[in-house]
Amino acid sequence: MASRGDQSKASLGFLTVIQDSDYGLLGGYLILNTAGRPEEFHCTAPVRPSRAQQILYGPTLEPYLYGEQIGRTLAARSKAQPLVLCTDRGPALAVREHVDMPVALVLPGDGEAGDGATASCESHWRLDKAHGRQPPLVAFRLGKNQLAVPATMSCDREAILQRLAELAECMDLAEPFGRIREAIEEARRGGQ
Amino acid sequence: MSDGWETSDPAGGFDWAPAAPPAAFSINLGPPPVTVASPFEAALRNGPVPEVQKIRWEDTAPRAIRIGIGRVEVAVRSFFFAPPPAVCERPDEPVKSHAAARIAADLLGQRTAPTRIAPPRDVIKLEDRLNYVLQPPLEAVLAERSLVFPFPPFSYQLQGVAFLYPRHAAVLADEMGLGKTMQAITAIRLLIRSGELRSVLLVCPKPLVTNWRREFALWAPEIPVLTIEGDQARRRWQWQLADMPVKIANYELLNRDRELFEACGPTGRAQLQFDLVLLDESQRIKNRASATSQAARAISRSRNWALTGTPVENSHEDLVGIFEFLSPGFLSPDMKPRRIGQLVSDYVLRRTKDQVLTDMPPKLFRDAELDLSPEQRETYALAEDDGVLRLTEMGDAATIHHVFELVLRLKQICNFDPATGASTKLERLEADLEEVATSGRKAIVFSQWVDTLQKLARHLRRFGPLEYHGRIPSGRREAVIQRFRENSKSHVLLISYGAGGVGLNLQFANYVFLFDRWWNPAVEDQAVNRAHRIGVSGSVTVTRFLMLGTIEERIDLVLQQKRELFDTIFSGTEAPRKLHLTQEEIFGLFDLKCPGGPIQVAA
Repeated sequence: MASRGDQSKASLGFLTVIQDSDYGLLGGYLILNTAGRPEEFHCTAPVRPSRAQQILYGPTLEPYLYGEQIGRTLAARSKAQPLVLCTDRGPALAVREHVDMPVALVLPGDGEAGDGATASCESHWRLDKAHGRQPPLVAFRLGKNQLAVPATMSCDREAILQRLAELAECMDLAEPFGRIREAIEEARRGGQ
Repeated sequence: MSDGWETSDPAGGFDWAPAAPPAAFSINLGPPPVTVASPFEAALRNGPVPEVQKIRWEDTAPRAIRIGIGRVEVAVRSFFFAPPPAVCERPDEPVKSHAAARIAADLLGQRTAPTRIAPPRDVIKLEDRLNYVLQPPLEAVLAERSLVFPFPPFSYQLQGVAFLYPRHAAVLADEMGLGKTMQAITAIRLLIRSGELRSVLLVCPKPLVTNWRREFALWAPEIPVLTIEGDQARRRWQWQLADMPVKIANYELLNRDRELFEACGPTGRAQLQFDLVLLDESQRIKNRASATSQAARAISRSRNWALTGTPVENSHEDLVGIFEFLSPGFLSPDMKPRRIGQLVSDYVLRRTKDQVLTDMPPKLFRDAELDLSPEQRETYALAEDDGVLRLTEMGDAATIHHVFELVLRLKQICNFDPATGASTKLERLEADLEEVATSGRKAIVFSQWVDTLQKLARHLRRFGPLEYHGRIPSGRREAVIQRFRENSKSHVLLISYGAGGVGLNLQFANYVFLFDRWWNPAVEDQAVNRAHRIGVSGSVTVTRFLMLGTIEERIDLVLQQKRELFDTIFSGTEAPRKLHLTQEEIFGLFDLKCPGGPIQVAA
């Protein structure tokens, strides 16, 4: 892992999953250098859960698919070891169990949750919709970005603040996800 | 009957109701019964012995069915991108921008969607396309410390930069006044910073060289610019100077120094090579057979861009000519305009002010349709009759040039009567200029003849006229513009289409007069847009003089047809009724017959 002082080689990882009604789930993982230039891009073939998985995994299906099946696979293909892995998909936080770096959920908009507050129940990043049991998250600000980490990994918060301190003011951590979605679309068109 | 049954039916029928019971009696029929043993009795004595079957419940567990939900391998495609060249790494400066689209947009004073660089259609390889798609938004790149701008670019200008940046063949065909120069310079600046360009040749009309130098100093002050000029030996040295990222030459020099472009080194490669050749006012090479076009095509280069506000002036072949430089063979003159429009859609970016500057003051047109003065009418009639008679007498010997001579003669009479100097147009112009001067405004007047402009200057002295045309030395022209801008007593600038049609920024003038009409609508548009461009403070009123019942009215119809052609190629509208001016139509201006065959009309 690159140290903080070694910013010239430092990179950031961005993971997202898009749900397509025709294809299923498509994962994309973008590695950017600190100037925002792409270094690596990895994307999955469509992933469709089986009926048995849907029944038996129940509310844990999305974390399994996003975090373990897609997130872990993509992270394993990367040559880089990013400072932080960012995702805009709540279920993808489950990838934290399979990677050796802090994972942050990038919350949309200008949320007002302060340091240490539990993030509000936004449906698009709740982990467990079916049972209404949202794993507690710890939300915090980094520059103009609103981030959250699982409460069970609250130590990641300090690591993220420390590693991204120099980049915080000028970074928009939500922007690269748009690039990933465009790239997935481009790759899908290219594969047809 | 006496058997106990009675009938009451007198007719002898039966009554089925029972009668009283018969009397009981008993009869002893013999010995008492004896019981005899039978197998059935034996069976009763033995009793049942049930057979018991033991069922061992513990041995009958339900059958299990295994449902596989095991982990499935997910297929992944991976792409690795080469690090950018060292030229754009600045380790001595703190990293400032990382995909900071919104923040950068704020810095630039805009709150619009980020501008993304989309891959051109001719980039086929997926990895290359993704390399474009995954780049940060343009605003984020521009927000980096060293890319300072004198003032914030408009959103559409950033889109123009994003259009040029990835393209090896491109035409930026924005309407005049939208800032093509700034867009091209910014794209060049970014490509030089990213290490993709090291040598750029900019070719423009001679009067615009100074303008380009000024624009480079404004928008890319850190880029050294060299103007190719001087005698042949000096130019040869300048052409071969290395470490000069941008060189500017005029079109005339291309012709003179063509042999340098064609010279090859010992390895067989051209001695002069450029990463980018940019042609400003690229309609100058619309004629593929011209020496200028051939000289431009002789330059060894890897990228070609063309800037023009008028990619089609007369015919769709104009665009074919430009593409012969950009991508030889891509278009052919045989193609229909609609097909050409489809093919070039990814290579040409054309925006109009109406599309992108919705808050720009309007451009108001008014056609001043005037009658000739009696003197002009008499002279005109004589000249036309005489000219037509001569053309008729020439018969098949009459050429298109003879017809043009007559056209020009008649147009001059429409301006001024040569004998008396009478001019309805002048009278109207003077009246309008009174209003312009009273309101403290400024006006520009266009004519195709310097003689006309000089006559106007004599008649319009009270309005402080200044002249800008071919008889004004190029070294003095900048001062003329400055004086017109700064002197409150100078209300009118007299310009020839040839000298002032392109490259001038006259947005401080609110009135434009087209004293006579050019043959080509695109040239008229260029002229009008000298005033109606970014920075204009109010609406621009354009007055087009048109003498009724004259050759001017007939030419106006031709201009309308050419506008239709332009719309067909760039707007996807219906095909115009006529694509070429045929020889019959030219001669038809005077109701003359002519030897057949389509011709191309010169601009």
